[in-house]
Amino acid sequence: MHASGFDRTRPLLLAAMAVLALAGFAVGHPDILSGANFGSMAVFGVEIGMIALGQTLVISGGDSGIDLSVGAIAGLAQVVLGRLLHADVTWPLAVAVTLGVGLGLGAINALAVTWLRIAPIIATLATLFGYAGLALVLSGGTNIDLTQQSSWFLALGQGHVLGLPFQLIALYLPLLAMFAFLQHGTGYGRALYLTGTNDRAAALAGLRVGRLRGAAYVLCGLTATIAGIVGAARLGTARPDAGMNDNLISIAIVVLGGTGIFGGTGSVVGTALATVVIAIVDYGLSYNDFNPIYQAGVIGVILIGVILVENPVLAWRARRFK
Amino acid sequence: MSAAVMGAPKVPRLRLPQGREALLLITLAVLVAGIGMFSHGAFWSRINLDNLFVSSAITLIPAIGMTVVMLTGGIDVSTGSMLGLTAAIGGSCFAAGWSLAATVPVFLLAGAGLGLVNAVLIIKGKIPPVIATLGTLSIYRMIVFIVLGSNWITQIPPVLTRVFVVDHVLWLPVVALIALGLVIVASLFLRYFRWGRHVYALGNNEEAARLAGIRPERIKLAAYVMLGLLTGFAALLTLGQSPMVQTSTGSGFVLQVIAAVVLGGTSLSGGRGTMAGTLLGTLVVQVVDDGIVLLHIQPFWNGVALGVIILAAIGLSSRRDAGGM
Repeated sequence: MHASGFDRTRPLLLAAMAVLALAGFAVGHPDILSGANFGSMAVFGVEIGMIALGQTLVISGGDSGIDLSVGAIAGLAQVVLGRLLHADVTWPLAVAVTLGVGLGLGAINALAVTWLRIAPIIATLATLFGYAGLALVLSGGTNIDLTQQSSWFLALGQGHVLGLPFQLIALYLPLLAMFAFLQHGTGYGRALYLTGTNDRAAALAGLRVGRLRGAAYVLCGLTATIAGIVGAARLGTARPDAGMNDNLISIAIVVLGGTGIFGGTGSVVGTALATVVIAIVDYGLSYNDFNPIYQAGVIGVILIGVILVENPVLAWRARRFK
Repeated sequence: MSAAVMGAPKVPRLRLPQGREALLLITLAVLVAGIGMFSHGAFWSRINLDNLFVSSAITLIPAIGMTVVMLTGGIDVSTGSMLGLTAAIGGSCFAAGWSLAATVPVFLLAGAGLGLVNAVLIIKGKIPPVIATLGTLSIYRMIVFIVLGSNWITQIPPVLTRVFVVDHVLWLPVVALIALGLVIVASLFLRYFRWGRHVYALGNNEEAARLAGIRPERIKLAAYVMLGLLTGFAALLTLGQSPMVQTSTGSGFVLQVIAAVVLGGTSLSGGRGTMAGTLLGTLVVQVVDDGIVLLHIQPFWNGVALGVIILAAIGLSSRRDAGGM
């Protein structure tokens, strides 16, 4: 099996899927192939794509690592930001405080998993409850209007650089580069791969397994927070339930991008390519007026389908290289 | 029966976290005393107690199945969508004029069938349980939309409500008695029957269980199908409690079920947990829910309270268990 590296057939597969999906929608609606629509796809993909970067680290860290609370973090971040802006806090400070809160929420997940030793599914399910509840409490269950805020703040989600969406050029791509460097160019990345592959070996080699995994949850909380902030700026609203299906979609993206669900493999580069595929599918469905419930259903089918196809292939490779 | 148990080398009960049930009982007593006092007696009203028992029963019945699934080391997060889809299918039969007797098997079979789908994906497809059921969670919910369109189903026969919710036997609503009976049966089954013992063996060490001649696939299959069946039954009872099916029926339900099971001391790493714990866990979850309504606290606090209770309860016990590591 490919070790930490990159499965070379994966980008081709994902590119083919992206073209197929796009072609499929273009048959029904040829006007989907316009520049404006590609811009909208990118804008949609950026937010879930950021969350998927963090989710990649969490899942590749092994030990059934998973973060189900990402959507709740995004929603709570939006509400915290909204309340701060309405309390006349200047927007750079409000964004900074929200980022700090997001780090804290990620740290709570990290502590629950590594210090309290609660299974990641249960720990992040519990924090999903908690964060989503807090978002409702802080917002009183209603959306917070942000359209009157500084145009500099709104530019985080609506601005353009060189004709391309601001958040794609100035936020997502740099973040992707940083995560790729972290994963493939630093000691932390290598240590996290080893932890995901064999945590006992990693611990015996002197690695602080708990801290390595914990850092992944903190980073995941941070990416979910940035995604929440960008989403609030894009729509000019803070919604407590903003990230409802984000856990499902981000996990589907990570799996589609070639990160093994048992840890120790995969790359954020694969995650980024898979984000393109999912963004096309999701945008195509909403362009054709499908209810978000159908989008989630289709992504559920993709998630299960990919693993069903992939498991026999992996087993076959393992046999061949034994 | 007792001779056979004493002769057995490993009684599953010995493997349970000590004192979990006692801790839950104390928590429950404190909650009940507090809510009873601050609600000025509203908690002890007949209507509130009946509501509490009915809601507890509807959570408890799938929680029995979820306990077994988690004992085998699995989980099913699709239960709420499954409840919604079974209610939509069964409700459509009611709307088509089917009698209660003809429709009850539809609920049970639909539930068992959806459980079977999960089981096959997890066992044959080798997909980790949380990922497989996260997928079916959204797929089942999509099918609810396809079945219902934008309609609500309101043609639920009133006899359903009368039989299960309104009628009382021994001061308890019928549905609460059924749930208690199921807990006792499941508890005896896990403790004294071969397959019940195999569930614990499997959860403790799947490879060892396999070498001992146990067939893990069969037990897991049975566990997921049983959870589906019980969820189908819970869907029927939900319609007895509030006679209406809408596209959101059952959303959020699975969180209550899982909260009840993990509070009850069943660990996700498999092999430990009891039905008594699940019963007490369910009551704690439902009393918190009830208390938030009675004390006029914003209902949004419900999720926060449950999240904190789960983290505290499991965190404390798992840190203690893992002390030597």
